[in-house]
Amino acid sequence: MTGQTLWFISRATGTVSLILFTTIVVLGMVIAGRRAPHGDSATIVMGLHRWLSLGSLAFLALHIVTAIADGYVSVGWLSTILPFTSVYRTFWVGLGTLAVDILLAVVVTSYLRHRMPERSWKAIHWLSYAMWPFALIHGFAMGTASEPLLRWLTVLCGAAGAAAVAWRLRTTHADRERRALVNFQEWS
Amino acid sequence: MTIVEELERAGLTGRGGAAFSTAIKVRAAHDNDADLVVNACDGEVGARKDAWVVEHHLAELVEGARLVTSGRRDRVTYAAHRGSRTADLLTRAGLEVLDVPARYVSSEETAILSLLHGGLAKPMTKRLPFVYGGRDSLGKRIAPTVVLNAETVWRVSQVRRNGPDWFRRFGTDTEPGPRLVSVGGAVAHPGIFEVGSGVPIRDLLDAAGGLEPRVPALLVGGLGGVLLTTDEAATTAWSGPGMAAYGGSMGAGVIEALDPTRCPLDVVTDLVTYGAGESAGQCGPCMFGLPAVAESWAELARDPNQQTLDRLQDRLGVIPGRGACHHPDGVTRFVGSALRVLMPHIHEHVAGPCPLGRSRHAVH
Amino acid sequence: MPSTDREVGVRIAVDRVLCTGHGVCARTLPGRIRLDEWGYPIVEAVAVDPVDADLAVKLCPARALYLR
Ligand SMILES: Cc1cc2nc3c(=O)[nH]c(=O)nc-3n(C[C@H](O)[C@H](O)[C@H](O)COP(=O)(O)O)c2cc1C
Ligand code: SF4
Ligand code: SF4
Repeated sequence: MTGQTLWFISRATGTVSLILFTTIVVLGMVIAGRRAPHGDSATIVMGLHRWLSLGSLAFLALHIVTAIADGYVSVGWLSTILPFTSVYRTFWVGLGTLAVDILLAVVVTSYLRHRMPERSWKAIHWLSYAMWPFALIHGFAMGTASEPLLRWLTVLCGAAGAAAVAWRLRTTHADRERRALVNFQEWS
Repeated sequence: MTIVEELERAGLTGRGGAAFSTAIKVRAAHDNDADLVVNACDGEVGARKDAWVVEHHLAELVEGARLVTSGRRDRVTYAAHRGSRTADLLTRAGLEVLDVPARYVSSEETAILSLLHGGLAKPMTKRLPFVYGGRDSLGKRIAPTVVLNAETVWRVSQVRRNGPDWFRRFGTDTEPGPRLVSVGGAVAHPGIFEVGSGVPIRDLLDAAGGLEPRVPALLVGGLGGVLLTTDEAATTAWSGPGMAAYGGSMGAGVIEALDPTRCPLDVVTDLVTYGAGESAGQCGPCMFGLPAVAESWAELARDPNQQTLDRLQDRLGVIPGRGACHHPDGVTRFVGSALRVLMPHIHEHVAGPCPLGRSRHAVH
Repeated sequence: MPSTDREVGVRIAVDRVLCTGHGVCARTLPGRIRLDEWGYPIVEAVAVDPVDADLAVKLCPARALYLR
């Protein structure tokens, strides 16, 4: 395979990964923010959230492998797990590496969720809110200005995610409100 | 004989409500090297007996705790409601006291354990009994701990001191031993009485100086118990089977005569509203179900009709067994019994003003 | 729902403290779990098919379903 092809595949899979991550994070917020009477769609949302996270790993793996194998720029295998070790654009590649690390932690803990303390799972899952902007900024910074389409896709992902965050901050449901209300009382 | 063997032979069961074999709990505590919490909260509505134990038998209580923890005093914590006289007495005796928020559900055993381990005084899901150690729902470790009611621990020392045969001289074969009952409310002389299972409830009421005139009903077992008519109470034995006939139990040993100056429907409204407000807000069916039950009951008391009655009964049918603790089971049981006992009175309300001529319903 | 299924299988339970009423289990275990008027599960058949149960346990967003 020529470097050109590899470079192209890397771009494409990177973009698809970003779109998938955005979708997964948005679906996650939908799950957290909604309750009855959305039981039916919640089931689909939950299934998608779970299976897309697994599926996204394939695109991500291809993205990383092709980016390194391309050889056009020197990233190095170490940089796939250790952030900020890449010679080429240390900071922007490093953000991508950080996102990968967090993603792996989130996916692995979610598959082990039933075998670990719930609060540890929760703490790690919250890191997703850092993973997603890291991936986004990485994508935006690394994408060249010569491809306006990719740039626009990245911006679109950012807008969708930001809208979801805004919705999530405002939305509430009876379960959460009742718990908070009772917690105001004396319990310790 | 070891203390477990003695307890087994004596047949002591928990005096905190569930009446589970104390021998089995103490054996599990020994096997798991568990800590002990002595529950002296008296959290149940009308309960005062554990305060009485602390006030009059503190030395024997401490001795019982020593027996359960194989002599290791540093393994014992006394749980009492914050600001109560019991907490004060225990603290002044130099004992390790856990200050429990003075509320109903916080005196449930796993709420105490959660508080003891640095959490909130809210019940925990019991996947396994915590005498084996375990985790709360969020995964925090809970060390092996056994919770025993204060009267239970006092009885442990009595069994050691006087022997299982002495213990079995009280009560019945299946429910042996002396037990405390707090009798209060509309009686001449409220107090704590020691009896054996099987005595007529009438005797207990007589011991308390008798009922005041026109008592509409009796609350047996508090918010986790049942309502009885005065006739039922007069003809029933204070025993497990006696109370089971009405869906109740001897529970934590409380009998309260309802205030004859108030409409009993209003009294029940107050009680169930209190119970709903005591939900720890952790389990959906409890934190939404109990307020819904309270609302249905209040509506029934205000404006009795079939639709409200049906809705209340549906709710009562769907809530039990669906909380991390037995609080919702207790409250729904209580309301179910109130419905049975007060149904004639509800029908009288349909016909006109409260026939007992009681305060609130004068506006009808 | 074949009624014979109800007697075999694994035993399912809900951690009531963790359950926040997502209602997903009523869809993943239809006929076994239904929701009350407030959206919380009523377990109508404790014994469920192991494969169904496994999926339901995985898809509960609050991790509230567990096997006993
Ligand atoms: C809502 C609720 C409140 C309770 N309050 C008390 C209490 O105040 N004192 C008590 O000893 N047990 C109380 N219990 C029962 C305890 O959870 C526990 O069963 C008991 O302390 C165990 O001791 P025993 O085996 O000696 O009875 C309560 C239970 C529930 C569900
Ligand atoms: S059943 Fe009610 S009182 Fe008991 S833990 Fe759940 S919410 Fe709290
Ligand atoms: S899916 Fe889980 S959180 Fe949702 S109602 Fe069922 S048990 Fe509760």
